[in-house]
Amino acid sequence: MQAQNRTKARTMRERTLGGNLALGAAAGAVLLASAYASASEEGDGLDRWWAPGEGRTFPELLDYDNEHGTLRTLLVGGPLETDGHPFFEPIGPNGRACVTCHQPADGMSLSTASVRAQWDATGGADPLFAAYDGSNCPTLPQGERASHSLLLDRGLIRIERPWPPAQWNGAGVEPDFAIEVVRDPNGCNSGAEYGPEAGVISVYRRPRPIGNMKYLLAVGFDLDPKQGVALPRDPETGVYLSGNLMADNRVSTLRDQMFDAGSTHLGMLDRMSDEDRHRIEAFELSIFVAQQRGGGGEVDDGGATGGPATLRDSEPGELGALGFPVWGEFAAWEEIDEEDRARLTPEEVAFRESVARGARIFRERTFLVSDAAGLTTQMGFGNPFRVACKMCHNMTRMGNDVAPGQVDLGTTTLPFADHFDDLPLFRITCLNDPHPYYGRQILTYDPGFALTTGRCADVGKITLQSMRGLAARAPYFSNGSAQDLHAVVDYYDRRYNIGYSEQEKQDLVNLMSVL
Amino acid sequence: MRGLRFTAFALSASLATQAAAEDVRFVTCPIYRDTDSGRKSGCWLADDPETGVRYDVSQSMARPHWAYGVLVEGNVSDDTEDTCGGIRLLPVRTSVLYDMECPRHMIAAEGYPGRPLPFAERYVMPVFVERDLPEPPYEDTSFSLVYDWNDDFITYNHSDYFFDIAALWIEAAQPARVIVTGWADTKPVEISGRMMAEDPDVARRRAEVVYESLLRRGVPADKIEVRWETHAQPADVEAADGLTESSRRRVDIQGIME
Repeated sequence: MQAQNRTKARTMRERTLGGNLALGAAAGAVLLASAYASASEEGDGLDRWWAPGEGRTFPELLDYDNEHGTLRTLLVGGPLETDGHPFFEPIGPNGRACVTCHQPADGMSLSTASVRAQWDATGGADPLFAAYDGSNCPTLPQGERASHSLLLDRGLIRIERPWPPAQWNGAGVEPDFAIEVVRDPNGCNSGAEYGPEAGVISVYRRPRPIGNMKYLLAVGFDLDPKQGVALPRDPETGVYLSGNLMADNRVSTLRDQMFDAGSTHLGMLDRMSDEDRHRIEAFELSIFVAQQRGGGGEVDDGGATGGPATLRDSEPGELGALGFPVWGEFAAWEEIDEEDRARLTPEEVAFRESVARGARIFRERTFLVSDAAGLTTQMGFGNPFRVACKMCHNMTRMGNDVAPGQVDLGTTTLPFADHFDDLPLFRITCLNDPHPYYGRQILTYDPGFALTTGRCADVGKITLQSMRGLAARAPYFSNGSAQDLHAVVDYYDRRYNIGYSEQEKQDLVNLMSVL
Repeated sequence: MRGLRFTAFALSASLATQAAAEDVRFVTCPIYRDTDSGRKSGCWLADDPETGVRYDVSQSMARPHWAYGVLVEGNVSDDTEDTCGGIRLLPVRTSVLYDMECPRHMIAAEGYPGRPLPFAERYVMPVFVERDLPEPPYEDTSFSLVYDWNDDFITYNHSDYFFDIAALWIEAAQPARVIVTGWADTKPVEISGRMMAEDPDVARRRAEVVYESLLRRGVPADKIEVRWETHAQPADVEAADGLTESSRRRVDIQGIME
């Protein structure tokens, strides 16, 4: 089976390389075939899919091609023999390992391209497609593609949240809202075992990338400006908690995230051992991931400082407004000197200029943000207020939020969310104060942060995440609703009526493709 | 909340002052003018229903919400430059009144430039910037946070600044006790035809948020005494910016050296 996997993985790669040469004409977004051909391959090279227990060597530098260029993963202190390492071994009974959903080729997340390839390679028998959370609902007939459509089409894993909510330590939370299932296309939330009747809510979310973790754990300020209270601390270590690990902030430490993932996604009946936890944590803190090569060639060439090496060598937690500007890595590409122009192709020059414009648009092109809980409520900025992308994506070099990033951008909640027929739809009824934007009743595909806090005001808030390695891990947003980078820009353009020109959209896409 | 000593008490009247009330204090529906001089540069306008005068309330650190009423408290600024289309109030505080629905009203810039948002004077430095602790000698000291109407939120770039000053002083001075007193302005008063009084419970909520925040800043629980009180009187505290009526809505943090 393993040999079959590798053959299929190669096939998938070859197909990908052949089918994505043009990103868009507007900004000269062209990928050169030579960029793929010259992509360095380390470790086991062409085998994109890392199956649990393979015992490969994880090299210090690992490159994988994607439709936008080449993603690079750096392992500080590498190489690492993965034989016996708990991140790579199936330490639970279902045959999965952490690496199953955190694939190196996918920016330590999971792309639908990889999911589909693995489905094709194994006929759906890979542990990734475990009934518990790798299917739309465990009650569906397993082995059928339709039963795994959310994972195959959107890269979504089923997440069970307790209802009523519970804190990370099991303590109960009294919610100030009621929840009803309006529509349940998959049978989980309306059935007896995986919905409110069983004391849980089933939601569906993308795996978040494991990499560049020092940035996601970094704290910008003592205060959480979205909650109006000082940041909480880890009761075991006393360090401030960034609140930026999980989509719904249900846990705030790598320790608790591992316990959560072990008992759910890995199906572990016993608590993960301290030794395993420490080894996984050490690995996760050593991984730095970013796009290394794109339509303009190397991202750390011509004065630019993109790529994972800069991430590895920089201090985390810096607010772009006070220090190094967000995506200032590409400032040198605003004015490409004659020497560089002479050695680059016209397409590469045009692409670099587009990326530099995209970075400026990201920082400076303002638009009116309204009705976005977490931003326009109580922070003091007013509703509406005029800002640029960097307002939320404000951490230097990463684009996540230096404050806990729970914000409602509308991606999961009506009327702002795109229309989906394949996700459950819930009706939230606020029992005390109405939600400041949605009112007393809210229709949502995923209540997000509210399933952690139990507060109606937090419905639809999803934690912002890193913008690194985007090229390798489509689709985007927590529910996989944006199939590609263009769709991400289009969503924001619709949601906030920004009015981006096609050139501006392409510049932003090109920027995101090299992060 | 374990380890707390909750005590209701009447704070000494010595905090109260006889300062004059704000120049203007009214309730209205806000208007957003979509000017663009960079980030957060849109204008907020408010028409006083008693006089019909349009004020520019954009300099409030916590700005309005276009779907709800707003309580405006402020003084007319000496700066007469009209960048938004209204008489500029500074200092000014605007409180969102969630029980008063308003039509969303946005108007175009109409030639007004707005005002670029200056870097906040009351800005808490990020944790990666090393901060200086206050130098000795240390003696009994009081700090205050001022709040929007019926609100217990420690506001970014305003009350967090004063909270940070208090937390740094406590870290340096290591007082024997810290008394946190939340106040609510519960005496009914008519403003723009509305009888208004704060929810008495907001005094407790204010105090508890500050208590929790002090714990998270490392102040031992057994050092902190939490109190709350209604019928607040004005206080001459920096966080109020000289706005007498809004100074009733506050939390006092008293460090007792003993």
